[in-house]
Amino acid sequence: MIRIAAVGDVHLGADARGRMRPALENVGEHADVLLLAGDLTRHGTLDEAQVVAEEFADLPVPVVAVLGNHDHHDDKPVEVAKLLSDSGLHVLEGDAVVFEVGGERIGIAGVKGFGGGFAGKCGSNFGEREMKAFVGHTIGIADALRAALHSIEADIRVALTHYSPVPDTLRGEPPEIYPFLGSYLLGEAIDATGTDLAIHGHAHFGTEHGMTPGGVRVRNVAQPIIRAAYTVYHVEPMVKAAVAG
Amino acid sequence: MTSEPYLSARLRRAIAEDPRTTELGVRVTVRGDHVLLSGDVACEERRAELEAVVHEIAPDLRVMDDVRVVSVAEPEGSEELR
Repeated sequence: MIRIAAVGDVHLGADARGRMRPALENVGEHADVLLLAGDLTRHGTLDEAQVVAEEFADLPVPVVAVLGNHDHHDDKPVEVAKLLSDSGLHVLEGDAVVFEVGGERIGIAGVKGFGGGFAGKCGSNFGEREMKAFVGHTIGIADALRAALHSIEADIRVALTHYSPVPDTLRGEPPEIYPFLGSYLLGEAIDATGTDLAIHGHAHFGTEHGMTPGGVRVRNVAQPIIRAAYTVYHVEPMVKAAVAG
Repeated sequence: MTSEPYLSARLRRAIAEDPRTTELGVRVTVRGDHVLLSGDVACEERRAELEAVVHEIAPDLRVMDDVRVVSVAEPEGSEELR
């Protein structure tokens, strides 16, 4: 059994410096790895990224993160990711990491994700250049997620995104904005790769629990939903065997 | 006088796009002379910033602030996924 701590949408800045640190310093008592599901900052500035780095550096467990839309706002996602990586965080965008915990291996593949909507109610890669850019961005990211998940050789395979792969975990948000909150293309990538668990954030008014059409559990860990410094899932490799039948 | 849906939309865009707030997770509801803010923010300072931005755009409305500061406590228990 592997213990996964996760939180998204912490939106740190200088005004929130150090708030999470007391709970984080004890994360090793609760979990073997900590996943951050994007929107780590408010505006995506390097000053805010420095606050994030200080908050999550030197913890007793590996910290794996993806960026969110807020982390892109200042147009420095590469620099933000580098600053966090230099502080010891594993920042994923179309790649994966594997850790061994007590003889079991957990692999995590991560992307920011993007919008577009869900099957039957989604945008198409057609028409104006702006529309094709919007949907094309999601297609490229979903392809990268699929490849990263596929590359993992581990007992437990986890998908980490900021945007949602399913509509289930958006319940509570206005349905009209679902196309800005996630895309079924992410779910399709998750279902095609024998993934055990999908973690995302972004939807502050959504719900925690959901499932992909292929039967993979999805958890929305946006901090306003989990109402804690992080939440914890205990995952058995058995989950995959059960789903595979 | 701006009708309520337009004012609501202006206020919501303002708190999303104003660099002092940049909050996409706060709901804005205009009812008559009142504007209700609800949702969660990361620290106490951000509640005051929200009220300031809303007041600039709609100085005649009374702001009712139901915004909460999100908990950063250690989790109680865990979920078993089998």
